[in-house]
Amino acid sequence: MIRGGRSHVSSPPAFSNDAKRLLVCTGNTVSIFSTSTGLQIKSLEGHAAEVTTVTVEPAASKVLCYCWTASLDGSIKYWDFSVPELLKTVDIKLPIFSMVIPSLLGQPTERNEKQHNIFAYVSVEDTRETTNPRKKKQPKPKPKPLSGRICKCNLTESRLAGGVTLAEMKVPQVITISPSGKYFGIRKHHKLLIWKVPDVESERMVMRKITLHHTKKMTVLAFHPTQRIVAAGDVTGRILIWRRFGDKTFAVSDGLVDGNLMSSEEERPGVRDNDDADSCTTWHWHPSQVNVLNFSSDGAYLYSGGQEGVLVVWQLDTGKKKFLPRIGSPLLYFTFSPDPSLSSVSLQMSSADNQIHLLKMPSMEILKSISGIKLPCSVPEGYEALCRGIAFDQSAGLVALHTGNYCIQFYSLLDDRGISEVQVCERNHQPGDDVTVVVTLVALSQDGSMMSTAELKIAEEGIGGLVCLKFWASGSQNKEFSLSTVIYEPHRNSQLWLLWYRDAGISAIAFHPTRRVAVSSSYAGDFKVWICHDEFQQKDPMLQNSGWSCHAVGSYKYGSSFIFSCGAVNYISPCRKKAMTAAAFSADGSVLAVAAETLITLWDPDENVLVAVIGETLAPIMSLSFVGKSEYLVATSRGSKPQLSVWSMSKLSASWSYMLQIEAVATAVDASSFAVLALLPESPKCKELNGTVFQGRDGVILLFNATDPVPVASWSVRKAKGGFLAFLQVNPSSIQEYISDGKPPQTLLAYMNADHEYVLFDPYGEETHELSVIHREDLLASEESGHYGYASIYGELPEFQLKKNQATWTPSAPSEKPWETIFNWFIT
Amino acid sequence: MAEELQPKTTLGKSFPVKPKLKPKARTLSQTPESKYWSSFKTQQIPNLISSINSISFSQIPPHLFAAAHSASLTLFSSQTLSQHSVISSFKDVVSCSSFRSDGALLAASDLSGLIQVFDVKTRTPLRRLRSHSRPVHFVQYPLLDKLHVVSGGDDGIVKYWDVSSENVVLDLFGHKDYVRCGDCSPVNAEMFVTGSYDHTVKLWDVRVENSKSVMEVNHGKPIEDVMFLPSGGLAATAGGNSVKIWDLIGGGKLLYSMESHNKTVTSVCLGRFGNESGEEAMQYRILSVALDGYMKVFDYVNMKVTHSMRFPAPLMSVAFSPDGMTRVIGTSNGSIFAGRKKRENVESGLVNFWSLGRVEEPQKRLLRPTYFRYFQRGQSEKPSESDFLVVRPKKLKLGEHDKLLKKFRHKEALVCVLSGKNPENVVAVMEELVARRKLLKCVSNLDNEELGLLLSFLQKHSTIPRYSGLLMGLMKKVLEMRAEDIKASDILKSHIRNLKRSVEEEIRIQQSLQEIQGIISPLLRIAGRK
Repeated sequence: MIRGGRSHVSSPPAFSNDAKRLLVCTGNTVSIFSTSTGLQIKSLEGHAAEVTTVTVEPAASKVLCYCWTASLDGSIKYWDFSVPELLKTVDIKLPIFSMVIPSLLGQPTERNEKQHNIFAYVSVEDTRETTNPRKKKQPKPKPKPLSGRICKCNLTESRLAGGVTLAEMKVPQVITISPSGKYFGIRKHHKLLIWKVPDVESERMVMRKITLHHTKKMTVLAFHPTQRIVAAGDVTGRILIWRRFGDKTFAVSDGLVDGNLMSSEEERPGVRDNDDADSCTTWHWHPSQVNVLNFSSDGAYLYSGGQEGVLVVWQLDTGKKKFLPRIGSPLLYFTFSPDPSLSSVSLQMSSADNQIHLLKMPSMEILKSISGIKLPCSVPEGYEALCRGIAFDQSAGLVALHTGNYCIQFYSLLDDRGISEVQVCERNHQPGDDVTVVVTLVALSQDGSMMSTAELKIAEEGIGGLVCLKFWASGSQNKEFSLSTVIYEPHRNSQLWLLWYRDAGISAIAFHPTRRVAVSSSYAGDFKVWICHDEFQQKDPMLQNSGWSCHAVGSYKYGSSFIFSCGAVNYISPCRKKAMTAAAFSADGSVLAVAAETLITLWDPDENVLVAVIGETLAPIMSLSFVGKSEYLVATSRGSKPQLSVWSMSKLSASWSYMLQIEAVATAVDASSFAVLALLPESPKCKELNGTVFQGRDGVILLFNATDPVPVASWSVRKAKGGFLAFLQVNPSSIQEYISDGKPPQTLLAYMNADHEYVLFDPYGEETHELSVIHREDLLASEESGHYGYASIYGELPEFQLKKNQATWTPSAPSEKPWETIFNWFIT
Repeated sequence: MAEELQPKTTLGKSFPVKPKLKPKARTLSQTPESKYWSSFKTQQIPNLISSINSISFSQIPPHLFAAAHSASLTLFSSQTLSQHSVISSFKDVVSCSSFRSDGALLAASDLSGLIQVFDVKTRTPLRRLRSHSRPVHFVQYPLLDKLHVVSGGDDGIVKYWDVSSENVVLDLFGHKDYVRCGDCSPVNAEMFVTGSYDHTVKLWDVRVENSKSVMEVNHGKPIEDVMFLPSGGLAATAGGNSVKIWDLIGGGKLLYSMESHNKTVTSVCLGRFGNESGEEAMQYRILSVALDGYMKVFDYVNMKVTHSMRFPAPLMSVAFSPDGMTRVIGTSNGSIFAGRKKRENVESGLVNFWSLGRVEEPQKRLLRPTYFRYFQRGQSEKPSESDFLVVRPKKLKLGEHDKLLKKFRHKEALVCVLSGKNPENVVAVMEELVARRKLLKCVSNLDNEELGLLLSFLQKHSTIPRYSGLLMGLMKKVLEMRAEDIKASDILKSHIRNLKRSVEEEIRIQQSLQEIQGIISPLLRIAGRK
């Protein structure tokens, strides 16, 4: 059982005191990365929900490695992360969204003399009322309006400071603390709330608070390390800097009384109302929301970054700017390394595409990037169906997924780290812009040496759309793909060019299992067989610049079919051609199956002739795959009449089918079983069932043997919509380290959910073994393992068994038993 | 190790706007062979009267060649391709000429039936061979024989002459129609072939008693030219649209029929490909010319046409100099296309000859700080092979339009690229603007002058298939959006008129293409069914 693909950027990371390690919140754990190699060293495991804050305890000696973590499970934990060892747990029973501990920053020497109580300020969501509303016997009209609150927590005595609620708000906010530890603040819609930490803390100390107003929604704030300056960013990209805030309120206790403290109202430029600040200046460079604000440690510079992915360094006194452009995705966090002995300050910056960059500061160059799995990128409306941009390299355990900046990322599922990136489309990516160029498809050949991508440029009011098919070849083992061939508008049709370009979009790309042959099918109604020409020229190393060319074009019309060699492509009445929606090669490459909407056409790829037509399904087929080396073909279709159907090649007829909304199909290369990821239907009855049985899980993985409609095993999963499924073939020795006991499996099933978090497990392994592993984490659990529900149901349903025995030549109708019926039957 | 594990990052990279890639030809545009044949620098010799019936080369250097046209025979130097001398003592149109193997004598026939033998140097007729009653079209000195000539005429008789006595040694009967061509065997003094309009080629041997032909092959069309291939065992005949290769030793078997000419092949000759020394040893080719204006080079070993050249007139005769340096083609309208290959080694040979004396090496002066070059020393030093080279990162070159696009000055970028020369860049910038959703906004912001620029660009390029997908749509939008401005300006109106014209022309082209498609597609269907 391997899990990975978690977000590295859910919360701000922290440097260790010697700046050699970086603590990153990854889901329920805190992963510790080495800053010199960028690899994960160890992880702190123990929280039951997402970790939201990690704070390293500063210490004079660099060997001390203590940190505090806070999590949504309502606990604060104290770790020695060099070992790593859990030292202390404070349970406050409220989900913590953010935590600051001012005393860690403030007076470290003082703490050693006298054993203070350590206080933390936490931003929690008050769920106490909402957890069990039934008990109160009163119907709740709406959720509690102000559920987020800022509380004070005594860490030494492990309890919340009673009755101290500093602020209440609708949603819990992130608390920002000043580097000196004297102030902390939150942003509350259009306001900033800033508190001064009292010199001597006690539980019931009254805290002084000031409020700064602005007209826009604030997104981030930062304190100056030495002076009383606070900077805040808003959604429009403005940066506001209040100088000498809190002169009136905080001054008395500060001892920083100036002569001209009481400046008159007129001399406070830019300050609204009666806000307690001396001046407020506004800088505006960012075109969109500011996400990152941070003062440099000497206070001379201000770093800002935002949605557009440019890091801006402002000279605080003059307002002069320096830029680090084209980071490629929105910046989220920015942290300084604490190590002053380094001549160059390296600092760290996280961007929204799940990458952490380590920067060398004066020169602003990127030293190292720790990249997690790329998050699913947004696709413009109406084009979602076209995008199936993920491919698995079954033998190497890699997944290729497309990213927002027109790259394909190769991510090792076994090692949980990014391997490489390939720039598919040479365009400058602006994170804020509308997506107009999409990488719609990526396909890998079985040995992983060839890749094909399809990209779509969306037309502007009908002009300038473009579909582009690219073939890539990897030079050596390190997955460095280089572009081999570009084909513009591969399925452009002479009569269709003025019409909607989506129609000519590529629906599927499939590689031949052994030869250098690929097939692409298009919605325009034809498919093309491509051949790589260096197949014949491999002896001659000089002829490396060979490429792919079209070998044959095929289309399917009602009742008759045409295929021509490429030189004499001829389109006869294209409007009557059926859209080709999916394509697959059989395991030995002797049969090419292409789905023509609801029919499956079988072709001989060598002779370019139509062998057979089988069908038909209820809705257009979305995916086709052959089940290993067996004679079965799995077809899935979506829409109002979803269907999973298994077709026998020897009988040329349907062997069995279900009415299931299938999200993904995975077939192993040399096994006769396949796995599907099915979405649970959204009917009220099932919803009810969902609550009790599936606990919010919206999908199931069903493992079938192709000959038998009864699933072998099933697992329920979360975030199944947009998920992926694949079998990985693993070298048993390489996986030994991950599987602690029992003999390592030959194949693993990989499930990746909509957020690209994934889990690898042995589908044929012992359920009990899995159970023990799975129970540890709740995030992506598939804990309801084994034959829970489904197998038992199927065993008792005679209709399905009958279905299997029907030896039919006629296109058989899919099972009319929808899920509702099954569940009904189960409940009664 | 750490570097290897580091994933390659694309951060901070900026991509300039690039035009779409153009498809590369899978086959090389020039094979070595076509390169060789096009290396003959063609030069036109105009102003000869009427068609060039025959061209023949002298066998010995400097390889004069004689071109027969009208009632005169012009000798040209093959080195300079300039006129050397003219023999004009003919009463009728000269039909054929042939140098003796030593190049001293020249036999020429005319349509009056007379054959004359000239001294090449003095141009005086030495012998007159009169026996043919009809026009003579073929006369030739055998390669290995200095005493006899062979001739054939419209009376269908092939005659074997003793030149010195002006007597016919043998009359060879057998052809039933005009004898138009012939060739003497390169390996045997007594054998020759003649081709006639009765579709047959006859092989003659003067040693045979009863003066009958030794062998006869049927070409199937009136024969225009016939020739022996260097081995003497093969012969090539030209007639109709085809050139056929025959195996004479193997009993007159047809080896191959080359049919890539569209009109009657008028003449063939032997060409040589490759130089004497080198990896590509000397190979022979058949050069054929036809009335369709094409010269084709045929490789009779691989049975492939390896090169083809077009000339702007029907071609009548072709000849190739024995040293392989000159290729001469005569046309029906009185001009000669003479091609001469540059001789590469001549220059270097001369230099070697003259530079036997010792050449003083310029002495290197010691560099001192007083010299300016002292301060430049080492700057142009080339790295040696063992040196570790630190490659300077390549500087990205940004075009003017790229810089403007970077500053989001979209309209300026479009105008800048429109005023440039490169249509590919224009389309690339337009595509980038489409991706930024700014193209239509740019169009609406153009002022009249810039709009004119855009319209003239559209008029020129919107019918090019590579761009039409984008430009046709754009053109429509431009006309919709800017109709008012166009109506107001006369210059723009004229652009629109031009545009209309080019669109109409394109429609005509498309229609005719569709007609062709209509013709072809049933044929393809039939071919596919087979």
